[in-house]
Amino acid sequence: MCFNKLDKMAIKVGVGLTTEKDHIRAAKEAVNQARINIHTDKLDLAFVFSSIEFAHSSVFKTISSLLGEVPIIGCSSLAIISHQGIFKHGLIIMLLSIPEGIYFNTAYVKEVSAKSTATAGEELGEKLLYGFKGVRRDLSMIFSDGLIQDGPGLIWGLQEKLGMSFPLVGASASDNLSFQKTYLYFNQEIFTDAACGMLWGGKLNFGLGIKHGWKPLGKPRSVTKSKGNVVEKIDNAPAIKIYEEYFAKDISELKKDLKHISILYPIGIYLPGEEEYLLRNISSIKEDGSLVFQGNVPQDSQVRLMIGSKESCLAATRQAAEEVKKGLLGRALNFVFVFDSVSRYILLGRQANQELDIIKTQLGKDIPVIGLYSYGEQAPLRAISYLGRTYFHNQTVTILGISA
Amino acid sequence: MLNTENLLNILGLTSAATIISLATVLAWKMQVLTRLQSSVDKLKKSLDEMDEQAKLIVRTDMELNKTQEELDKKITGLYALQRLSRAISTTLEESQIFKRIDAGYLEDTGFEKALAFLWNEQEKKFLLYLTIGYIEDEIEAIKSFVDSNQDLYLNLIKGEKTLSSLSADTLTKKNLNHIFKVSSFVISPILPKEGDKGFFFVGTENVDTLITEGDEELITILANQLGQALENARLFEQTWRAQQDLEMKVEERTHELTRALDEVKKISKRKTDFISSVSHELRTPLTSIKGYASILLTGKLGNLAADARERIDKINRHSDELAHLVNDLLDISRIEAGRVMMKPQLENLKDIVEQAVDLLSGQLKEKQIELRLDIPADANSVFVDKGQIERVFINIISNAIKFTPLEGKIIIHSHKLDKTLQVDIKDTGCGIPPEALEAIFEEFYRVDNPINQEVKGTGLGLSLVKHIIEAHKGKIWVKSKLGEGSTFSFTLPQSV
Repeated sequence: MCFNKLDKMAIKVGVGLTTEKDHIRAAKEAVNQARINIHTDKLDLAFVFSSIEFAHSSVFKTISSLLGEVPIIGCSSLAIISHQGIFKHGLIIMLLSIPEGIYFNTAYVKEVSAKSTATAGEELGEKLLYGFKGVRRDLSMIFSDGLIQDGPGLIWGLQEKLGMSFPLVGASASDNLSFQKTYLYFNQEIFTDAACGMLWGGKLNFGLGIKHGWKPLGKPRSVTKSKGNVVEKIDNAPAIKIYEEYFAKDISELKKDLKHISILYPIGIYLPGEEEYLLRNISSIKEDGSLVFQGNVPQDSQVRLMIGSKESCLAATRQAAEEVKKGLLGRALNFVFVFDSVSRYILLGRQANQELDIIKTQLGKDIPVIGLYSYGEQAPLRAISYLGRTYFHNQTVTILGISA
Repeated sequence: MLNTENLLNILGLTSAATIISLATVLAWKMQVLTRLQSSVDKLKKSLDEMDEQAKLIVRTDMELNKTQEELDKKITGLYALQRLSRAISTTLEESQIFKRIDAGYLEDTGFEKALAFLWNEQEKKFLLYLTIGYIEDEIEAIKSFVDSNQDLYLNLIKGEKTLSSLSADTLTKKNLNHIFKVSSFVISPILPKEGDKGFFFVGTENVDTLITEGDEELITILANQLGQALENARLFEQTWRAQQDLEMKVEERTHELTRALDEVKKISKRKTDFISSVSHELRTPLTSIKGYASILLTGKLGNLAADARERIDKINRHSDELAHLVNDLLDISRIEAGRVMMKPQLENLKDIVEQAVDLLSGQLKEKQIELRLDIPADANSVFVDKGQIERVFINIISNAIKFTPLEGKIIIHSHKLDKTLQVDIKDTGCGIPPEALEAIFEEFYRVDNPINQEVKGTGLGLSLVKHIIEAHKGKIWVKSKLGEGSTFSFTLPQSV
């Protein structure tokens, strides 16, 4: 854990990217590039995202030895996003030199599944708050294991400590779609079953956009029985029936095609006052016809089947980028984080690069971009009735623009 | 009583009116309710119809998405195939071909694991040339499996057939999936026209991947490309080896020829040395013979009888000829041995020619031969050893006089070449037979003709001329037509 009070002027940024196969050489190349690009020796913080083959202790030992005491946070991903393009195999590092008046603290929590996720969230929140007394808190960024069953619980625990309406943006780590292991990076260590994050404070300005682009289709339905992320009954019938009816397939056929259907046709939870429905992907189907979602679905909520297309997906990206600009109120952008859902990567296929092109067109061709594909995104809802409270999302592109 | 009755009547009437109005209101309300119910029913029906339409849309959308996905996969695969093909076709080293298969490109074809084996005829086993996506232990297990199931793969090669999860029977599929640790695979033979053949394996652990005919086709094309690349590399290797052999042979031959040339040079030197020493040895007695003959002829030792005088005169003349011959021989051998150093200077060609002609004026006059000089001012300056070049002119002109009949013509012409000057000496003599043209510059060669039989000569003159010209880094040649005359041409340096 560390607490830093920092120098004057704007945040300086240097990004280094590598697709080199050798771990040590890759780590050195990325750090060297980032150091060259940042134009200063005063380094305060490093974000690292990589494809899973770089989730290796030798990589982080090398990075750490090259950067010294600089705190590192990040996680593994299906592919890495940078302003230079999207790379299925690679490692990206963003070095920040942070001026006076902006504060940050990093922390992690491990063995999440041994505790309750809410307890783990609270623990992380507490660690992040350490030393933040009397300092204006601006934003929290969280990375968590993408295979943790109760993602929303973690968020809930954090909110208990940081405040229900405190802006919290996060991404769940991903792997190569094998759903075996996802990794969190913290300083020179690598964790699974963990979460890490940071708290920004002081004079940080940011703009946030979160959109998915999926549209509701067919009749609205009611969740008549659910608990957490398991929905047993919709309109008093087994939850699976909604999918059986729409796709004219039985439960075994649906199970076979689950990955496909889950990504393309999630259910959407209606949120009064919100422009978009909150999406939930099915993660599995139970024998009794209950559906297990990647995120909680409250009982009595109104849900609909959702449909998306490449076009609507890309239009949503544009809207999210526009919201970032709106949120910055005309302030110049320093750098951008993109937390994009793996579902979108799969849906867009060869056109995945177009999302990046849209972001660059909207926010500036030369703005440094660093990002990852996640198994779940966390960001606040805008509607007044939700008081800016952070929810667990699926299928979205979350764009966070920082200006400081 | 009446009042009570009236009151009751009024009450009854009022009640009846109330009931009637209530009934009317109720009837009206019922009507509204029925209307509303029918609207609700209509709306519900519309909603259900919309939901049915939604189902149609979802199903169509799903089909479309699947087609799109397959199309995307095909396009990505084709791009990857193109990049892989380019990578493997740009090397001509057999060992490099398999190294050019990049894991990233392979992944774009939908497979993350690959192996390539080539059959080694001598060892009678398959050797592994490429592994992608396997760890050391897995590779060893696969190798021993391939070795113990050689027939399966040899049959694939022989039958030129591709085997995949799509075409293999259930048992083979299960077996191969287990051994190669995949859930889907394609195996295609690598078939270069010559040399070791083999097979290319690709597979994926992804259970969602279903092998299509398109996948089979793609991997077959890639395996064909590998075969083609191997063939090219082997052909190149053969050509390269042949060229190396040829170069070695040429070098050997050159070496032999150099040795032979050295030998010839040695022999030639020995010959020159021999001639040189013999000539020296001959000169001394010759001088005495000539001396004594001259003294005898003067009559200082007493008058000679006419017969004796005639013979002594012959001795004297023949001694002169012999001395001339010995001198020429000595000159040739000196030049050949490099013992005569040319002392070139900038000279006037016309002067040299005129001096030579002067010496020969008697003979010219005797045969009434017209000699014409055509030496233009720009082809007059030469960088030569004057004395030696004068000998060249004397030799060639006196030859021309010898073979040119009475009242004939000799023309000496010079003209400038690039850096040298060419002199042509043309006569209207009897000409040289074609077969003799090459030989006349050789030592002791004499053209077989009546004049030569009559007029004596050593057969060394032109050889000496050639040696002198070559010592000036020039060339000499002759053109001739029997009965029409000959032209001797040679080149001389104009400057250093």
